[in-house]
Amino acid sequence: MADDGLPARRLWLHEDVVATVIGLAIVALALAVTWSARPAESPGSREKWPKGWPTPLSQTIDKPQTWSDSPLAAFRDKKGNPLTVPIVLGGTWVVAVAVVGAALAGRSVGSILPGSIALALLAGMAYLLAAQKVIHFYNLEYPLWALMIGILIGNVVGMPAWLERSLAGEFLIKTGLVIFGAEVLFSRLLELGLPGLLTSWVVTPIVLVTTYWCGVHLLKIPSRSLCMVVAADMSVCGVSAAIATGAACRAKKEELSLAIGLSLFFTVIMMVAMPPLISWLGLDPIVGGAWIGGTIDATGAVVAAGESLGKEAGEVAATVKMIQNSMIGIIAFAVAVYWAGWVERSGGSREGSLLAEAWRRFPRFILGFVAASIACSWLFSSSPEAALWVDGTTTGFTSRLRGWLFCAGFVCMGLQTNFRELAPSLASGRPLVLYVGGQLLNLVLSLAMASLTFGWLFRKAVEP
Amino acid sequence: MTTCAPGRLALVVAAIGLVWCGLLPAVQRVAVVERHVAAMELREVNPAAMVYTELDRLPIRPTWVEDRVILWPYFSP
Repeated sequence: MADDGLPARRLWLHEDVVATVIGLAIVALALAVTWSARPAESPGSREKWPKGWPTPLSQTIDKPQTWSDSPLAAFRDKKGNPLTVPIVLGGTWVVAVAVVGAALAGRSVGSILPGSIALALLAGMAYLLAAQKVIHFYNLEYPLWALMIGILIGNVVGMPAWLERSLAGEFLIKTGLVIFGAEVLFSRLLELGLPGLLTSWVVTPIVLVTTYWCGVHLLKIPSRSLCMVVAADMSVCGVSAAIATGAACRAKKEELSLAIGLSLFFTVIMMVAMPPLISWLGLDPIVGGAWIGGTIDATGAVVAAGESLGKEAGEVAATVKMIQNSMIGIIAFAVAVYWAGWVERSGGSREGSLLAEAWRRFPRFILGFVAASIACSWLFSSSPEAALWVDGTTTGFTSRLRGWLFCAGFVCMGLQTNFRELAPSLASGRPLVLYVGGQLLNLVLSLAMASLTFGWLFRKAVEP
Repeated sequence: MTTCAPGRLALVVAAIGLVWCGLLPAVQRVAVVERHVAAMELREVNPAAMVYTELDRLPIRPTWVEDRVILWPYFSP
């Protein structure tokens, strides 16, 4: 994202370094705590521990749960146990990261504390809105409501100065991304073998590059970062890919908001429309599941749509999407290198060699993200026990931590999004054309590849 | 905009409250929506998951795939 996170005054530690140190330390600490409480009975059994080893840390942080009529129900789990303390601790975590980040960057903690508390409350509010059952089960994820709350306050209500000076959305998202690295496991790429790899890995880069190229050269969208973020969230896996590539190519907040809005809007439509379309076309559910997994942006929507075709289709859809999730790290790294080495270099002044300048411009926190990903991937593939160790730590704890940071980061982005800057892009309609065009290409290529792999090359898969 | 308008804030909060506590619960009682929500809850699907780690059931390689698909045809012994 555009570099306007923690201000540079009295900066004695670069924001990227602080985000990387906090993120990696949290992942290491979480792994250590989960290891210390590892189960004595069947530690390597996936059947016994389907979501990995239980971690004591899962009791410490949570978010509001789904509710129907009364928002108060969001503060209790499915068994009726109170969750107020873990939810409050989730907000406290946001405040702690913002305060530590400010302190390490040499800023006054007192001046940002009230704003950080307000930010955590707004993030909690966004989670609460996203947890209403109609919203939740139609895939309107929390980033949408976090952005909406921020945009409403920033553009309609008005933002008080004490809140404005404590906005560090970029820093929160960077820290969240480093923690997120622990969930992006390269070893997951091999889960569906060659058919899965062909379905996920051949189509996605083609669609990503073609969409980006068409946005820049055919539609002549002035902002290359907008083209990249739209291409990534449409071809890879929605919001999470948009966050990672947006940070890698320093997209503006308005651009990221627009890309996420487009992705969420079309995800809902595709989640509802694709299962009946597949049935109408008479496709085999397995091929249909692979098609859904390769095309619908958001992971949850993929599972929802796949499951409506049947259990096996749902499993294939979820696994294909999981393989795409695993690509985020590689794509974010490649985008960061391309941006630092070519896009920004051709647009700005040139100092020194290509490598030196690319390094100067490179977003360093991406290295933290990739380091967390490589370390956890290596650990995951080292033994069945270690796989359950990593799964338990990420699903039970670190995914919640980075969720709160992303949510607060999106509130900040919304607060700083200026409608007047967004208006020209919306009025031209070109980002919409880019998204729809790219998605059509994605639909055609993914169907062809799903039919080729699951329906022809490995056709035993679809035989009863 | 660096000044806060309390009147607008109250209006926004009231509108959100009305939609989330009045309109959406009513929408949830519409038959087609009710069926969708019930089916998702029954299958333990979390359609709002951003990545696979947020799913209620973590995807693992389905055993029927292993039985029927040659995962690595050119590398199998």
